[in-house]
Amino acid sequence: MLKQNVSRIRWRFLTAPWQEADWFLLLLVLGLTVLGSLMIRSVGLNQDWIDWRQHWIIGVVGVLLALAIAQWRYEVMLRWHWLIYGITNLLLLAVMVVGTTELGAQRWITIGGFNIQPSEFAKVGLIITLASLIQKRLISSVAQVARILAVAAVPWVLVFLQPDLGTSLVFGAITFGMLYWGNMNPGWLVLLFSPLISAILFSASLHVWFVWVGIVGIVAWRSLPWRLVGTISATTINLIAGGIGHLLWELLHDYQRDRLILFLDPHRDPLGGGYHLIQSRIAIGAGQLFGQGLNQGTQTQLNFIPEQHTDFIFSAIGEELGFVGALVVLLIFWLVCLRLVIIAQNAKDNFGSLLAIGVLSMLVFQVLVNIGMTVGLAPVAGIPLPWLSYGRSALLTNFIAIGLVESVYNYRKRLKF
Amino acid sequence: MSTSIPPSRRNSPRHRTELTRHQHPLDRVVSFTPKRKRAGAGAVSRPVRQPGRSQTEPLVRPSRFRLLLVWFILTLGGLGLTINLFRLQVVQAPMLRERAQEQQILHLLPFVPRRPIIDRLGNVLAIDQPVFTLYAHPILFKVPLQTVADQLAPLLQRPASALVSQFSQAESGILLNEAVSEDVTEKILDLQLDGLELIKHQQRLYPQQSLFANVVGYVNVDRDGQVGVEASHEEQLERSLSAMQLRRMGNGAIVPENVPDELLHQDDLRLQLTLDSRLQRTTQVVLHRQMEHYGAKRGTVMVMDVHTGEMLAFVSQPTFDPNQYYESDTDFLGNWAVSDLYEPGSTFKPINVAIALEAGAVQPNDSFNDEGRITIGGWPIQNSDFNEHGGRGTLSIREILKYSSNVGMVRIMQQMDAATYYNWMEKLGIGESTQIDLPAETVGQMKSVEQFTSASIEPATTAFGQGFSLTPIQLLQLHGAIANGGKLVTPHVARGLVNTNGQLQWQPDLPEARSLFSLQTTQTVLDMMETAVQEGTGKSARIPGYRIAGKTGTAQKASPDGGYLASARITSFVGTFPVDTPRYTILVVIDEPQGEDAYGSTVAAPIAKAVMEALITLEQILPSQPISQESVATDSNETEPDSAQMDQSYLEEPSYEEPLYEEPLYEEPLYEEPIADPEVDEAAPEAMEYDTETQW
Repeated sequence: MLKQNVSRIRWRFLTAPWQEADWFLLLLVLGLTVLGSLMIRSVGLNQDWIDWRQHWIIGVVGVLLALAIAQWRYEVMLRWHWLIYGITNLLLLAVMVVGTTELGAQRWITIGGFNIQPSEFAKVGLIITLASLIQKRLISSVAQVARILAVAAVPWVLVFLQPDLGTSLVFGAITFGMLYWGNMNPGWLVLLFSPLISAILFSASLHVWFVWVGIVGIVAWRSLPWRLVGTISATTINLIAGGIGHLLWELLHDYQRDRLILFLDPHRDPLGGGYHLIQSRIAIGAGQLFGQGLNQGTQTQLNFIPEQHTDFIFSAIGEELGFVGALVVLLIFWLVCLRLVIIAQNAKDNFGSLLAIGVLSMLVFQVLVNIGMTVGLAPVAGIPLPWLSYGRSALLTNFIAIGLVESVYNYRKRLKF
Repeated sequence: MSTSIPPSRRNSPRHRTELTRHQHPLDRVVSFTPKRKRAGAGAVSRPVRQPGRSQTEPLVRPSRFRLLLVWFILTLGGLGLTINLFRLQVVQAPMLRERAQEQQILHLLPFVPRRPIIDRLGNVLAIDQPVFTLYAHPILFKVPLQTVADQLAPLLQRPASALVSQFSQAESGILLNEAVSEDVTEKILDLQLDGLELIKHQQRLYPQQSLFANVVGYVNVDRDGQVGVEASHEEQLERSLSAMQLRRMGNGAIVPENVPDELLHQDDLRLQLTLDSRLQRTTQVVLHRQMEHYGAKRGTVMVMDVHTGEMLAFVSQPTFDPNQYYESDTDFLGNWAVSDLYEPGSTFKPINVAIALEAGAVQPNDSFNDEGRITIGGWPIQNSDFNEHGGRGTLSIREILKYSSNVGMVRIMQQMDAATYYNWMEKLGIGESTQIDLPAETVGQMKSVEQFTSASIEPATTAFGQGFSLTPIQLLQLHGAIANGGKLVTPHVARGLVNTNGQLQWQPDLPEARSLFSLQTTQTVLDMMETAVQEGTGKSARIPGYRIAGKTGTAQKASPDGGYLASARITSFVGTFPVDTPRYTILVVIDEPQGEDAYGSTVAAPIAKAVMEALITLEQILPSQPISQESVATDSNETEPDSAQMDQSYLEEPSYEEPLYEEPLYEEPLYEEPIADPEVDEAAPEAMEYDTETQW
């Protein structure tokens, strides 16, 4: 009995730094990583790729890193958030100067033999920066929103210019998610998005576009501080947006433009831009209810889907593990989201809560767009699936993000020993 | 470092308004955390408080509405994905899996060529070559119809105006040509015209055209062998097509691990025939000329290696062009030498002699009385030259064969009892297949054993080769047994599958040769047949310096209604040479030659002679006798004083430009046919009676 007590005490001593950590969340994330490396291995079997080993190694490093961050007080970062912001932007600038060009975009810089994708780490940098800024004062004025947007715009523009449309969209999702949680008037959110929607509606249906401008006017009237000026300018911006939407469209690269619309009808270009989408849907469908079995998916093994170990890993899951397997993956992601919301709710301060919501926004957006892309709901955006897609920088980033959230949960109590 | 909202801001009217509007100052306690845990955590964290931290620090807590919106988005996203996964993986799954398989599995069926067929020298007799079907899709044309038509017209050898009118018939899918050759295809591709589609497929090409048609056969549009070797050796020619489902990678490459071994190992194999195209061509030319000259209905010439059963030449006429089999009369598509029966007549007499000798019923030196005309079982039987020569009196067996005496043959076979004779006929295999590797072989017909033993006319007619039927190929097989020392070998045309080095990879499994006669018997019969060529009916087949054994035959054709046709006859010659070391047996059968002078000796024997001469040249067979011996044979020839002269003329003119013979050298005996002798015009009344009334 005494021995039992001793061992219990020892165990508690060992795990002391993480006594309050969310082990369930870590386990979910770990499960995704293991599944990811299994799928990456399966995808590469016929190509003799050994990327899955890298996924394992980075996974282990990531877990250790997350645990290290979890036992470290996250509030410390408040002091350094401008530094973090500066480093983030500097790295993004470095990519533009010395980056490796792939697929018409600059993505990597090579440091000490490692390829580093700063745009991935920039996601966490942006989350920390925005959380630090918003936590000081709840969003209550347009000026505050403008200031936050201005801060977020710097890395956003840098990423957009790489050009990495997918990551820039993730930045947008993080920014808006955190603004929303930071008590911004939801109406303003609608107003922020309204020009984009106007631009799309303008070319789709003039009637709907006109109704939409009206709705925007009402929302502006009800939510903006200077009602008249605000409403008029919001309406005007939306009216103009319809016209300049076309202009913006022209600004996009060809492949970006194709990616954005082809998902609606991939058969328009079945051998070009629509190829990924068609093959991905065929693969997922071929998986049927229970899948063809790990390493047995014919689409996957015969390498019909380009980039399937990275952005299109979910189509391999769909084919080899079937509807049931895909649902399990969705459920795991959903549980991760559940935990993140709970952690955000239970954080001891605004900073922690906002960090959790920033990570949630990042994950939710990536999961929805990535899986949506593979099943035909979203365009091909070049967004990896967290923990499952192969990508060392992305995997490490996700573990760092989870480490931060774990820290928020670990130190959720205001009073500690 | 601490998070805070300045009190002034917090208490500002706007902020207050914001909070009250949503009725929802955020609780510290959130419903998602289990109560038990919360209580426990509270208890643990109670003891020590950190003095520095502000207890009143306000926290950002979203209103219930905001939280609900978050859950709404999460649920909506999850549901949206789930519904789409359900749509793909359950609703559309069967269709999508089918599409997956469609694009992954490559059906090679139409692209696997049949194996080529070659002759014994390696000349190609049948080969697959890629041809292209050309479709036009005017909807995809980037240039005017007229331009396309102008450019295609010379390549397709069609007027441009016809092409234009075809183009205007439909928007797409217009079939322009089904068999565009590879050369023309390349030229079409060089035009770089949009809207043209070329689909590759294999077409069987027979470069020798009709030369081997009756042996090789042809394939139909479904690429199934129809007649000849193409049909009988389908298994060897086809490459196991059912197994040809290969996995294809996303980039179109075939996954090598799934390729069946057969595909990798089969490519260079070709089916080699035993036929020699040089001999075949000579034979065909000779046969064709002779048939034209006599206006014959059909004919066949076969040359067999008597030791192995290998066919060196096998020509049947009429024939067809297998490249355009569909334009031929369907009756010509087979090989009648294998599929049709005939009554062999006198060419069967040597076989009968061999039977009688082997059975011990007669001795080689026995003599028989030839009355010229006898009556058996109420039926008259006479020699064909009875009207001319009457009875010849006592004849040796050798002389009976030499004069082709029907009565003599009857007398020989009467030395055996009918049942034994019948057993021998069965032992020969009459009524059974020769198992030649060509399709549609018909088995011979014989009377029943009861009929044969009870009616004395049956063994008598059989003695001179009538009253039963067999195929020409079976007669060749039987004479092969006489030639090779008594063994019944299986005639065959396929040597086996050879690779590009000429090594045999597969050989037909032939039945073991069955022994029929003793060597002594066959040598005796061959010797007698040699006399028949040297001195008797087969003189027109003589070749100076070479020992040739042979026998002519002229038979009336059996009418389908029973009895015999008065004017239709089958002339034939069977020969074996060189007699010193018998190697080749040749059978020539010409069906329904026209004219009074159409006999085995005049129609068939010269063909055999020409073929043997070709064989001598091709196989470089040296003469075994001095050429001058020929004059001896001429001296002994009393019945045909002009035959030597004809032989001479034939020697002087070995080419086959002209009809080989202007007039008959010798009348073939027909037991009931008096018109056999051109000098005798009136028919024997008895014989005519026999013809019309006999129902065999």
